[in-house]
Amino acid sequence: MTDRDQAGAHDNRTSAAPTDAGDGAPVVVAMKGIRRSFGDLLALDGVDFDLRRGEIHALLGENGAGKSTLMNVLYGLVSPDHGTIEVDGTPVEIDGPHAAIAHGIGMVHQHFKLVPRLTVAENIVLGDGGERWTRLPDLAEVSRRIEELSDRYGLEVPGDSYVWQLSVGQQQRAEILRALYHDARILILDEPTATLTPNEVEALLERLKGMAAAGSSIIIITHHLDEVMSSADRITVLRSGKYIATLKAAETSQSDLARLMVGRDLQEAALLEVQSGAAAGAGQHAQAGPPVLDVQNLTAYADPVGGPRRASSDDERVALEDITLQVSSGEIVAIAGVQGNGQAELEEVLLGLREVASGRIVLDGKDLAGATTSHVLDSGLGYIPSDRYRYGLISDLAISENLVIDRVDRAPYGSRFSRNFAAIRDNAISLIKSFSIAANSPKTPAATLSGGNAQKVILARSLRSDLSLLVAAQPTRGLDIGAIEFVWERLRRERDDGLGILLISTDLNEIMALAERCYVLYRGRLTESPMDRDSIGLAMGGANLTASGEVPV
Amino acid sequence: MTKIDTTADATEPETTEFVEESTSLVRQFGLTALAIFMALFCGALLLWAAGANPFVAYADMVKGVFTSPAAISLVMGDVVPLLTIGLGLMIAFRAKIWNIGAEGQFLLGALFGGAFAIYSPIEAPIFIIPMTLLVGTAAGAAWGWIVGFLRAHWGVNEVITSLLLVYVAGFIVVYAIRQPMRDPEYFLPQSAALPDTARLGDIPWLDVHAGLLIALALVPLTAYLVNRTSFGIRSLMLGYNPDGTRAAGVNTSKLTVRIMLISGGLAGLAGIMQVMGAETRITNNISPGFGFTAIIVALLGRLRPIGVFLAAVLIGVLNVGGDALQRSQGLPRAVVVVIQALFVIFLLIAERTGSR
Amino acid sequence: MDWGAIFSGAGIIALLNAGIRLAMPTALAAVGETFCERSGVLNLSLEGMLLAGAFTSFMGGYYSGNLWVGVLAGIGGGLAIGILMALLSVTFKTAQVINGIVLVLFATGLTAFTYNSVFGVTTTPPRFDSMRPLEIPWLSSIPGVGPVLFEQSILVYLSVVVIVAVSWLLFRTRYGLTVRAAGEKPTAVDAAGVNVDRVRWVATLVAGAMAGFGGAVLIVGQLGFFRDSITAGRGWVAIALVIFGRWTPLRVFGGALLFGMTDALQLRIQAAGGGIQSGVPFEFFQALPYLVTIGVVIVATARSRDDAMPTALGETFEKESKTKAE
Repeated sequence: MTDRDQAGAHDNRTSAAPTDAGDGAPVVVAMKGIRRSFGDLLALDGVDFDLRRGEIHALLGENGAGKSTLMNVLYGLVSPDHGTIEVDGTPVEIDGPHAAIAHGIGMVHQHFKLVPRLTVAENIVLGDGGERWTRLPDLAEVSRRIEELSDRYGLEVPGDSYVWQLSVGQQQRAEILRALYHDARILILDEPTATLTPNEVEALLERLKGMAAAGSSIIIITHHLDEVMSSADRITVLRSGKYIATLKAAETSQSDLARLMVGRDLQEAALLEVQSGAAAGAGQHAQAGPPVLDVQNLTAYADPVGGPRRASSDDERVALEDITLQVSSGEIVAIAGVQGNGQAELEEVLLGLREVASGRIVLDGKDLAGATTSHVLDSGLGYIPSDRYRYGLISDLAISENLVIDRVDRAPYGSRFSRNFAAIRDNAISLIKSFSIAANSPKTPAATLSGGNAQKVILARSLRSDLSLLVAAQPTRGLDIGAIEFVWERLRRERDDGLGILLISTDLNEIMALAERCYVLYRGRLTESPMDRDSIGLAMGGANLTASGEVPV
Repeated sequence: MTKIDTTADATEPETTEFVEESTSLVRQFGLTALAIFMALFCGALLLWAAGANPFVAYADMVKGVFTSPAAISLVMGDVVPLLTIGLGLMIAFRAKIWNIGAEGQFLLGALFGGAFAIYSPIEAPIFIIPMTLLVGTAAGAAWGWIVGFLRAHWGVNEVITSLLLVYVAGFIVVYAIRQPMRDPEYFLPQSAALPDTARLGDIPWLDVHAGLLIALALVPLTAYLVNRTSFGIRSLMLGYNPDGTRAAGVNTSKLTVRIMLISGGLAGLAGIMQVMGAETRITNNISPGFGFTAIIVALLGRLRPIGVFLAAVLIGVLNVGGDALQRSQGLPRAVVVVIQALFVIFLLIAERTGSR
Repeated sequence: MDWGAIFSGAGIIALLNAGIRLAMPTALAAVGETFCERSGVLNLSLEGMLLAGAFTSFMGGYYSGNLWVGVLAGIGGGLAIGILMALLSVTFKTAQVINGIVLVLFATGLTAFTYNSVFGVTTTPPRFDSMRPLEIPWLSSIPGVGPVLFEQSILVYLSVVVIVAVSWLLFRTRYGLTVRAAGEKPTAVDAAGVNVDRVRWVATLVAGAMAGFGGAVLIVGQLGFFRDSITAGRGWVAIALVIFGRWTPLRVFGGALLFGMTDALQLRIQAAGGGIQSGVPFEFFQALPYLVTIGVVIVATARSRDDAMPTALGETFEKESKTKAE
């Protein structure tokens, strides 16, 4: 609260102070002057926030604006340096999730906090006296209560299933149920729509509205303007850790919000493009050339999810079933689909990191099914992995090393028995410049890079001159607008220069903005879809495409 | 040894989990010194608890090492196996392959190399010395290969297999010198002596066998291997991020096997050098646990060749000092094992708290 | 060699009886390790815990003249190494593999130093009478089963009770659920408001106490004397058995019994003069328990590809929110 004067952003307010807004429903949570820094970074700079009973309140801002940090403060995962929190008008100290739960606050994290090898019921019991040496409650009884709650709120989740058996949507419902099970009246959802199909998003928002109408108070963290407009009652905008404004949804517009979110008019257009996937680049490019990638009837298995208490015998699950697809040079072909439908396995199979059970992968006329990764890379395949810290970088090594990890024994970077450090450094210096990677020096470990810059390192390494196909998996996930624009622009340019690109993405906007053709991956099966939002959206949720590609409505 | 890379290029990968890139050399040296001091302090407490005057005890150790040339050559005699094994473990540990069975690889190197020398029909030094060294190295490498193969192809935990194979190797040696290789002239089971032509002679003016030269030569050699070859950088990559290394096109199975071949091979080399230079025959106690002590050497040397060399000297001094202590005060030499383990424990803590 | 004597009815009963007895130290250590690894801590200091427990139990039993004092001292000795392991691995968060290996060397050195400082180098090591078997009335007279199961020392019965209790704790209590979750996904445990580090401390101490008890069973229940490295790799075997038993206490216990039988068999064969007369050297039989363990681990990992392994095993847990902004 001492930092009020410092919060210069308050000048920007376009509406009255938070406490004056609204229709008089009682305030259940009031956060005042919340300030928190991590090292040099001021993540929250005197932020105010309030939540009324029965409303859906959207917390809007770019990546890094401080939305999640603010909510982590409310949930007790981060302690604020300054500021006060009131629940139901009483000042409270929330020193951990326990305290938050005790005050009726529940949180659904973006990365679910469920243990895959435990059942839903066990996961729910976990948060309840986890350090007591007492007998476990009767799990059948817990399951029954879960089902009661599911029925009441329309959140179907089987209580005795293992979490690893559930779809992403079911896992999210399990998270919400867990909060409700522990009597949450205040529900925080961090980016709840990021991993859902359009239909699931709609259904979720409907259920949340129902819960709000029944008296729960809900906070949604998001950066999607359209969802905000369609579901929220009020919206609070944060930017670079500062409070910007609180608005009523009914009294604002997407472009107003966009301006508040990014601050500068310059980036507003970019944001709207990123948000809508307006096809700025699509369709303007040269004609697609000859096919470079031809995948025929590819089948592969997923990793077994086992455990001492293995749930069932289906430990060899099919991850990809009889997949056929083609990519030509000079085109971007998208694979749409919700995370967990075989995308990760598809990346791995193409790279030679996962065994091919049957089928063919032909790149430039060479059959690569069963080839080693090094052979695949040598054949002209570039790779931007979806999990950039697992497959993309050796974080502890210097940036300069990361830019050549797939070529350490190739000229000019070295041979079997030598390394050319000068060439490695020169390569790094030139790539850091041409990809405008923000790094102190080529020697800095890659771990110190921000997400966007880490992705640029991978992009720079992948786009070798001798490439014939680029597999780009979730190339912009978690990046801020500037970095997204950079990556998109770069991919378009490579496409125009004749590279074939296979874009694996869960982001419909990205697909609309980049791709010419689109396949949809659903439960390991691939179907081609026409390039329009509704068809793709339906297919992502498993609606049957007819042979002609028509979507039955 | 002048090749070691203080002058190396800016991009040289210098990090291991043990070594924060950001910490300066001075700081690293300071932390190590602090850890050594703390370990010696705890050792002093232990000696005091055992009824000795720690100052007198440490003085005896120092006197025992540095006042007699014989003791200095004993130190160097210990440095040979510790350094050779330690460099091999360094190579494995950089890749986070935890070969803790060097003791077994050492024993088999000694046994098979020794057997070759004893039974070789050709006794000309020009043939028998290199061949014996080679056979010993190969035997150690083979024992290491088992561990590497099992981990690379079936994912079997190398810590367990390498360690359990130590016991198996021990029984093989015991059997060999009790039965087929036994020298009937002696009451205790031991092999016949190696032919004179297969012995590593002493270095002139030093009472140490020529194995020391080989061990010292290995320092720049392994430095080149870990810092300047694709094998070296790939090992480091494997240690940091095995999945990322695979995605970069590295055949990690092959790499794992190679690393274990080298690691085991160097332990085997240390074993046969011990027989050719120091022991002259295979007995039940050719190793007072060199293979285990070398783990400390590699860790204390922060997985760098020069560091391993310095650590081997330090541990060698401690070992000989411990013997002196046992002679002068009747205190068990095991106190040095405690101090050596404490070195690493305090180093771990210092690293961790120092980097925060 | 007289195989007939070993595999006669009486021979087999003696063999099984000895097998159970010899299995217990390893079994206790292995089940403690299972509990610990389920929480996410890869405790490679187990051999050190076992050895420390063996040593302190010997000292306790020798100086007090009371075997139960020895048992308590043994538990304390294992706990002491457990405290060091938890301090390094959980509090200081240094690499667990290194911590474990170094602590084994530490315990080896410390027990050897202390033992030799106290008793000096002697040809006749000090010893006491180990605990006698307790014949349970009625049950021990059941033919076959009786002499195998019910003519054991009370420590054997106690061990079985402890092992079953730990298995029960792990699967049937709230705390056990939390331990299992901590080894699978510590962030979930943290988000549930439970202190992951504290859970892992406790689990490491459980391993220490159980391995210490195992050391005591070895000394007080079987040998009655101590010498350097007397545990002879049983701790490492126990770690292997955890893999074999797929991180499930009762299966791990089963594996330990198998190991105990192998050990009993090789001792019998040696006692019957195997190797001297037969073509097979007795060193082979001595190596047999280790070879069997290696083989069993290979089969267990090759078949299951470690899919039973706790997902977060060996990874230190750092609270995300402390290090990253978003």
